[in-house]
Amino acid sequence: MIKFHPTSQQLNKFSDGLLTPAEALMISAHCDMCPQCSSKVMLYTEAHSETLFEDNSQTFDADLFGSMMADITSGEVDRGIASDPQNRVIELDGRKFTLPRSLNRLSESMGNWSHMVGKLWQAPVNIGGDTVANFIFMEKGGGVPEHTHRGSEMTLVVNGEFSDGLANYSSGDFTVMDDQKIHTPSTTSDEGCLVFSVIDAPLHFTSGWARLINPFSHLFFK
Amino acid sequence: MLIGITLENNKPDVRKPKDCAAEMAAHLDTVAKERCKASFAKVFGYFAPRLRSYALKQMGNEAIAMELVQDTMSNVWQKAHLFNAEKGSPSTWIFTIARNIRFDMLRKLKNRKEDVCSDDMWPILCEQTADPKEKSLEEKVTLQQVGELFNQLPEKQKAVIEAIYIEGKSQQEVADELEIPLGTVKSRTRLALQRLKDMLETHD
Repeated sequence: MIKFHPTSQQLNKFSDGLLTPAEALMISAHCDMCPQCSSKVMLYTEAHSETLFEDNSQTFDADLFGSMMADITSGEVDRGIASDPQNRVIELDGRKFTLPRSLNRLSESMGNWSHMVGKLWQAPVNIGGDTVANFIFMEKGGGVPEHTHRGSEMTLVVNGEFSDGLANYSSGDFTVMDDQKIHTPSTTSDEGCLVFSVIDAPLHFTSGWARLINPFSHLFFK
Repeated sequence: MLIGITLENNKPDVRKPKDCAAEMAAHLDTVAKERCKASFAKVFGYFAPRLRSYALKQMGNEAIAMELVQDTMSNVWQKAHLFNAEKGSPSTWIFTIARNIRFDMLRKLKNRKEDVCSDDMWPILCEQTADPKEKSLEEKVTLQQVGELFNQLPEKQKAVIEAIYIEGKSQQEVADELEIPLGTVKSRTRLALQRLKDMLETHD
């Protein structure tokens, strides 16, 4: 049962194509997993199209459009059939995870899994721009040290469950964290937990030994 | 049956999209099945001016706005067979095409380095040439042959074909990556496929 969804405003802007690429990708992946948000997006999309095409202030100007139409219809047409993309599956240590469809293409070029501290695995996904995306897998009993954020951190639970001291999350849940929130993600589930995370600035660790790595956290960021 | 293409000048169609959805869906169907230019003219006449207002508002530049209209309507003509009336109205379908093109255009205009494209999120125009599940042994042998012939293609055509048919990218993505116009990608694809076909025929 998905409890954490994007806001209506985010879904609305997503359907109008107005979110930043990284944010749009996250919302889209959430919608792949969430029928409720997916149907909201359909409604918003219909509403946007109604608004757009209700505007009939422009008349058909043959000078402007005649040659365009002739140009378009003179082109050859190659016909295929509609494709129904299959969800990709990624593997870690013999475990298999089915990804949300929106991550299909990008996950094809994901980097190798590297074993971090605290029963934590990380595999980078290059989505370009100023954001850093990773698949993060927490083994049972594993977690990320307590931290806050210099920028924003978007997280989508792809498979499993985790808690962070603020709430419990499970497959499909989507959260956005910022510098106002301190949390300590960890999992106690036997299957562990796979999340997809996008951050636009390094994390800031707030307790214990992990604070020592703050001056170097940019090393973890890129 | 309409003869030729009538452009109804100075007579704006003031109907709301909802009120002509059934009619537009029927036209799209005819475009898909018969490549009927008269039906396309009806769809074009209703949507192109509206798309232009939208594009002008969104992009604030006449040339870019017209490019958005042209790319959108060109997809409507080329991909009419992918429109499915059971999944939504023609206006929603055409809006999503325009939105996707705008999304990719803005990403390029703003010089954003993100490698996220509209097809990742909204694969409405993605199509395949055949069902991959039905790959027979025979077909695999043919694929191998094609692979050999493929190596004989000119480098530029090879790059495009490889990206589209092997890496599964969309033509738009390939255009973005190689920084060439979408039309060039389309023509290279067509030329390469024609060449492969010719080679296969002489191969036999």
